[in-house]
Amino acid sequence: MAKALGLDKLVNFFRSIKHNGGILGSLRTLYRVDELKFGDLIGEDKYGNKYYENNMYFYGRNRWVIYSPRVHMNYDASQVPAEWYGWLHYKTDLPPFKDPSRPKYKWMVDHTPNLSGTNKAYMPYSTVKTKIQAWQPKD
Amino acid sequence: MLRLPLFRAISRSNGRLTSAVCFHNSAANQQQPQQQPELIELFIDDKPVQVPPGTTVLKAAAMVGVEIPRFCYHERLAIAGNCRMCLVEIEKQVKPVAACAMPVMKGWRVKTNSALTRKAREGVMEFLLVNHPLDCPICDQGGECDLQDQSMAFGNDRSRFTDINFSGKRAVEDKDLGPLIKTVMTRCIHCTRCIRFASEVAGVDDLGTTGRGNEMQVGTYVEKLFMSEVSGNIIDLCPVGALTSKPYAFVARPWENHRTDSIDVHDAVGSNIVVSHRTGEVLRILPRVNEDVNEEWLADKARFSYDGLKRQRLITPMLKIDGKLQNVEWEDALVAAARALQDLPPNKCAAIAGCMADAEVLVAVKDLVNTLDSELLTTEQEFPKSGAGVDLRSNYLLNNKIANVEHADVILLIGTNPRFEAPLVNTRIRKGYLHREQNVAVIGPKLDLTYDHENLGQSPDIISQIKSGSHPFCEVLKNAKKPMIILGADVLTRKDGDKILAETQSLCKNIEKTVKTDADWKVFNILHTNASQVTALDVGYAASLEEVKKAKPSVLFLLGADENIKKEDFGESCIIYVGSHGDNGAQIADIVLPGAAYTEKTATYVNMEGRAQLTNAAITPPGMARPDWKIIRALSEIAGHRLPYDDLHELRDRIAEIAPHLVNYGEVEPSNFLKQVYELAKTTQGSFLPDPIDIKQKSLDQFFMTNAISRASPTMAKCVQAVQKQKQV
Repeated sequence: MAKALGLDKLVNFFRSIKHNGGILGSLRTLYRVDELKFGDLIGEDKYGNKYYENNMYFYGRNRWVIYSPRVHMNYDASQVPAEWYGWLHYKTDLPPFKDPSRPKYKWMVDHTPNLSGTNKAYMPYSTVKTKIQAWQPKD
Repeated sequence: MLRLPLFRAISRSNGRLTSAVCFHNSAANQQQPQQQPELIELFIDDKPVQVPPGTTVLKAAAMVGVEIPRFCYHERLAIAGNCRMCLVEIEKQVKPVAACAMPVMKGWRVKTNSALTRKAREGVMEFLLVNHPLDCPICDQGGECDLQDQSMAFGNDRSRFTDINFSGKRAVEDKDLGPLIKTVMTRCIHCTRCIRFASEVAGVDDLGTTGRGNEMQVGTYVEKLFMSEVSGNIIDLCPVGALTSKPYAFVARPWENHRTDSIDVHDAVGSNIVVSHRTGEVLRILPRVNEDVNEEWLADKARFSYDGLKRQRLITPMLKIDGKLQNVEWEDALVAAARALQDLPPNKCAAIAGCMADAEVLVAVKDLVNTLDSELLTTEQEFPKSGAGVDLRSNYLLNNKIANVEHADVILLIGTNPRFEAPLVNTRIRKGYLHREQNVAVIGPKLDLTYDHENLGQSPDIISQIKSGSHPFCEVLKNAKKPMIILGADVLTRKDGDKILAETQSLCKNIEKTVKTDADWKVFNILHTNASQVTALDVGYAASLEEVKKAKPSVLFLLGADENIKKEDFGESCIIYVGSHGDNGAQIADIVLPGAAYTEKTATYVNMEGRAQLTNAAITPPGMARPDWKIIRALSEIAGHRLPYDDLHELRDRIAEIAPHLVNYGEVEPSNFLKQVYELAKTTQGSFLPDPIDIKQKSLDQFFMTNAISRASPTMAKCVQAVQKQKQV
């Protein structure tokens, strides 16, 4: 009955607002990610990114990440670490903390996001001989 | 030697060879009207044309705008007539005739596009191509090859050549002509232009042919270097890719280069050049036709030293910190220089102009130094102050103009070797020697000038002897109609330079009295070696090096000055070097401000005859280097003596205020007040020193490296090595 009248949409709307922390929080989320969703918090990685799942949404939209508030608007898909990547892209249904087969060694390096556009970006240098040879003063 | 009695007899009797060879004497020739001979009328492709007798068919055709194809014919060389490409049909003649060598006859009807003419051309072209390799894709001449162009325009469109796999084409071993000229002799079509250039213009009878028919080869008989200072011109002359530039081999195609017209600054001739460049690099330098200056030739130093523009460059400002020159930013360097200029007492700021400084920077520096209450401006090659000094232009110019050198009948060279100091003046003298019976005498060491000349000895006293009439050479001078005395600029840097100048001038005065010359014929001439010298003297760089040294300036500007300057002489000075190349000058400097080389700036240069010409910027200055005058302008603002010009036009206006002829480009301001110069010369005191007159550049290996650019050039270094090796053989 409620479905036929479209009232469930209204219910989901209020749930979303509640999930995102009230009207102000929802506006903030809308501003940041242009989308208002609600779902179960599956986990959080050490960078502060939170991973949600709600199977009410169709496949492909039912798992998502809300990036750490520390990065504010500068979020980027490469900020998702490797262990969560598989779950987020449906390579596995087990989130990293539930997956016993994932190896963890001390020597594994920390995840680095894409550094393009920062001062740590990779810059290739020219190996071509310079056209102009500068004069070197004799001592 | 070309100058044979027979040759004279021919050229005198019917005037054909003379007119053929010297047709291009341009304006100079027109100045003296000869009686006009009756004109001959003939018809080229039914177009009537009237020409003087002795004109060749080819030239007559050119007058009505009909271009006859040719390979061996060249306007500035003797006629050979051996390529047969210029065959044309003449009505009522049995056989086609070679248009380049055939003098016209009255009423001839020449057909340059008839069936017979075309058949003859196609036949000649086919013979040439039968033994010419099909290597156009890897040939450096591609795109500027006469054979390519003319086979497209005049050749047959079918090939009968099927012999590719059988006996192959004729092959000839390559010759080694030295580090400048690459030879691929298989491509040679035996036009003999290079041979004629070598023996007529360069005066080096090294090239010739051996064998005949299919076995004919162009070469040097025994393997040897082509020892000439104008050797590069045979590259331009070669109609095919047999002779190409070695440094430019496989570098670029002519159609992908950008071309910028410019002026050469390696000597004071001011040869007109074209700078070929691409991707911000100068790839080659070619001559540009200017009948009054360089005709269409170019000296090797000007043509091949361009790789020096890429080496030993100053690309960042430098400052002496802890006794070592270190790279700094412009701001730091300019502030350091401006600080040195603060609160200077009068006559404590000096400038020395180097051999390649342009008018713009010379004027900017002069203005800056003058605002600092100083007149200590000089050139690295000194010019005597006594007599007229720099006040009258006639005192330091080649007054008679370069083009008139070939019209002189007696030339006396004092302390100069034009062959290496100004190769294109020397080719003019050689031209006069060959075609006008010129007599040349030299006061100075024994030289090889490429033509016969009399060596009068080395002592400067000989000038006085000729003046007083006690020297046997006076007889020659008495009979002269157009005598020229050419005095080397280098000899004037001697301690008794002023005496030599004054004595030469009074000698010239005597000659002008005894010999009735034309009013505009100038006997007294100075041959400069530095491109900047005339400009510097024009704008008033009037002090002497001694004065500058004595004044102990606190600040000394070196405008690319590398010669004759020692750190010891300027121990207390803060030396500011503005220039393009790191050389002796930059080494002793406290502050180095990187300037632009002549290919990188639009600048004014005045050549030895007083002709102002403009270089154009082909490429940008490398790194942080900037056009020299802008550096001075920026420095003046920081130092608190702002120069009143912000761009090139305002600066040119300022130059025009000082010397209007400096912005009258391409023209020579006629030199006058020579009488006053002679009068002022009388005031000079002193006597000759006992040392003999010497010349710096006596042999070819001394020619190649004379300034910062050519010293930085690896090609020039190779040339010096090759010449020295050749000498040992």
